[in-house]
Amino acid sequence: MSVPLIALLDLRKDFSGVHVLKGIDLAFEAGEIHGLLGENGAGKSTLIKILTGVYAPSSGQVLMDGKPVTIHRPIDAHRLGLGAVYQDSELVGSYTVAENIVLGNEPRGPWINRRRIRAEAVGIMDQIGLTLDPDRPAASLTAAEMQMVTLATLFHRKYRLIILDEPTARLSAPETRLLFQLIARFRQQGISIVYISHRLNEIKELCDRATILRDGMVSGSLQRHEIEEEIVTKLMVNRSMAELDIGNPGLAQDRVVLELDGLTTDRLSPLSLTVRAGEILGITGPLGAGMEQIERSLGGLGAYRGDIRVDGVVRPIRSPHDSRKAGIALIPEDRRKQALFPNLSLAENVSLPAMSELAKLGLIAHAAANAYANSVVQRLAIHPQAPERPMRYFSGGNQQKAVIGKWLKREARAYIFVEPTSGVDVGAIRQIYEIILGLARSGAAVIVISTSVKELLALSETIAVIHHGAISALLPRADCTRDSLLAMTISATAPSVAA
Amino acid sequence: MTMTTTAVVPPPTQAGAKGRSRNGLHFLRRWGTIIVIVLVGLLFSKLSPYFPTISNFNNILFSMIVSALVSMGLTFVVAAGSFDLSVGVTVTTVSIVTALLIPYTGMAGGIILALIAACLIGLVNGLLVTYARLSGIVSTLGMMFVLGGINQYLTNGYQVPVAYGEVAFRYIGQGRVGPIAFPVILLALVFIAGHILATRSKAGHYIGAVGDNPMAAYYSGILVYRWVTVSFVLSALFAGIGGIILTSISSSAQPVGGEGYLLEAFAAVFLGATILGKGKPHLLGTLLGVFFLYMVSSGMNMVGISFATRQLFNGLVLILAVGANALLNREEIHLKFI
Repeated sequence: MSVPLIALLDLRKDFSGVHVLKGIDLAFEAGEIHGLLGENGAGKSTLIKILTGVYAPSSGQVLMDGKPVTIHRPIDAHRLGLGAVYQDSELVGSYTVAENIVLGNEPRGPWINRRRIRAEAVGIMDQIGLTLDPDRPAASLTAAEMQMVTLATLFHRKYRLIILDEPTARLSAPETRLLFQLIARFRQQGISIVYISHRLNEIKELCDRATILRDGMVSGSLQRHEIEEEIVTKLMVNRSMAELDIGNPGLAQDRVVLELDGLTTDRLSPLSLTVRAGEILGITGPLGAGMEQIERSLGGLGAYRGDIRVDGVVRPIRSPHDSRKAGIALIPEDRRKQALFPNLSLAENVSLPAMSELAKLGLIAHAAANAYANSVVQRLAIHPQAPERPMRYFSGGNQQKAVIGKWLKREARAYIFVEPTSGVDVGAIRQIYEIILGLARSGAAVIVISTSVKELLALSETIAVIHHGAISALLPRADCTRDSLLAMTISATAPSVAA
Repeated sequence: MTMTTTAVVPPPTQAGAKGRSRNGLHFLRRWGTIIVIVLVGLLFSKLSPYFPTISNFNNILFSMIVSALVSMGLTFVVAAGSFDLSVGVTVTTVSIVTALLIPYTGMAGGIILALIAACLIGLVNGLLVTYARLSGIVSTLGMMFVLGGINQYLTNGYQVPVAYGEVAFRYIGQGRVGPIAFPVILLALVFIAGHILATRSKAGHYIGAVGDNPMAAYYSGILVYRWVTVSFVLSALFAGIGGIILTSISSSAQPVGGEGYLLEAFAAVFLGATILGKGKPHLLGTLLGVFFLYMVSSGMNMVGISFATRQLFNGLVLILAVGANALLNREEIHLKFI
């Protein structure tokens, strides 16, 4: 057939010796919608970051229209017409929808003609079937509307390939319809779409082809009619890699520590859960199903209705401070931004929350702080053992251990881990699992929120699957297999589980 | 509508009951500052018969010229999301450069070269903030001290007189067209030009976009560094025009004194941002903000309020203005303390 728009030849990427992409050969045809599937850590996000110039590949080639291109910086990708829509909206809040759509591509000349900008934007909106008031300020749009407008801005930037990463995560059903119409218009214009989603029915409905990544390699490419649950599951699950020989032996005691009673937010229908002392509850589901709402409520980052009880006492949690006082430790996914001080040393980072315990007469006792930091380094096997080293020089896995270390002195009653091994090098995963199991063994209630099925099977004693803001399945780990759990997360309707 | 669970956060109240107060709030947002300005004006008119006169109005306009120019320039920088602490001293520097050059280059040459000097100051500020990655506060604070030193070198601490024979140059600051002072007309012209630049040109459009969401601007292919630099050049250029008018008004350049414009300018810009409820700096707001400050100063003067009290009042106005601005742009979590 014709030359593909983008062809990847033996693309490899390693991060300090860890091979994340192990030779990807993949082509995106002009005007096709290409689904990209794979478990967390399969290499999807690394692949996207190479295409958008965030990372440079370690080896291999990217061909565009058959000619090799180099994408070293985001601006290179922009010039070549490769764009991505991320979750965060990229709009100018005080400008109107029309001004945002045309931003950066206004009619030539030094002056701004608002009427022409508006006309041009209305033209684009008509073309892609977006019905919104062009004069509304972007700040007044809902999250979904913002996403639509962001897509419309891409249209004007004359992109040739657009990567959509979990675009429906925040959208309702009718909004998803509108998004699909938009994507169809993009295809009519000959623009290629790379569509990343955990939702199989969306991929099935939308995509001409789908590629499944597994463990840094392409495990299969399917034509539209071949996209079936069993086939996809089979290609996603990594059977070649030996299962981590780690498992939860059943640590739960009888006493309930953490209780969510009718927890409700605007994206979470009343949800009730209990976690016992020593129990590790794994929560999974497609992105945007509401898992992040549980984490936000418990961490004091978002408003909720309903009760959160710790050791049987209702604790209203309005801020991260309340959450900490209630004995809840949240270990967020974005550790660099939300849990660590990159320029402070490892010792300062881990001893910070324990300052009051380590202080003498209200003054920081440096010797005590250092001794404490050293004990954390030993206990969590943080490598290198350099408490004085600024946090940003540690690897993802060791940063994760440091975040856990922040809580060891205060001994939280409940630990909430969000994607505990994302960005963590393979070698450190096992150690982190053992630390989490150790917390459960010491009697804490633990929730692990993760999109990795493998992770939940290794850690959990109980597993909850969330769909559309509600629990669609709640069952003991022993009743799950990889296939059944994966099937439950990628299809909206949970199949009956055979033990 | 039954809610069985206890509410931690009150659920959103019914739209009907809230609707009217929201409308009221909306009205206050839009017109609140202007209402305050009018009320304060009426208050002074009540207190002093000399306040509401044409000649006093002319006086207020005349006294605010330099401050208004500096504030309008600063508006561009704040709109681009940065700070310029060197605007005040730039007035002095440009004033000195003008006074020193006129004997050698004549009026036109002196003015042009002085404005070029102003643009260079802005260019250096802009490059430091963008390519050199310094914060706006730090780099322009440095520039403020550097210019202060240069001003001392250039003048040895003495004022620089402009020859009495420079009639045309003196007309810039001292001329009159009928009842209106010529520099007030200049101010009006610069305001109109600036307003068109801010609202109708790509420069103004892109500066606003960069200041609002630099990431979005970057992804839209806007050259973010260029427009931030342009905003600093505009700021220095406007301050420079102020410096030239100041030189003409007093027929001399003073070695110090421009610093005073800095705080007035910040007060005016942030006060102006609340005008018409925009929540972001705009030139018309800034101009009204400056007018308000000088009107209050004039009124207090007439009523016989001491300089100390006026100083205190200006400080409070700045805090209130910025506070009102923060209310307009309420973020979910406020964690920025610059």
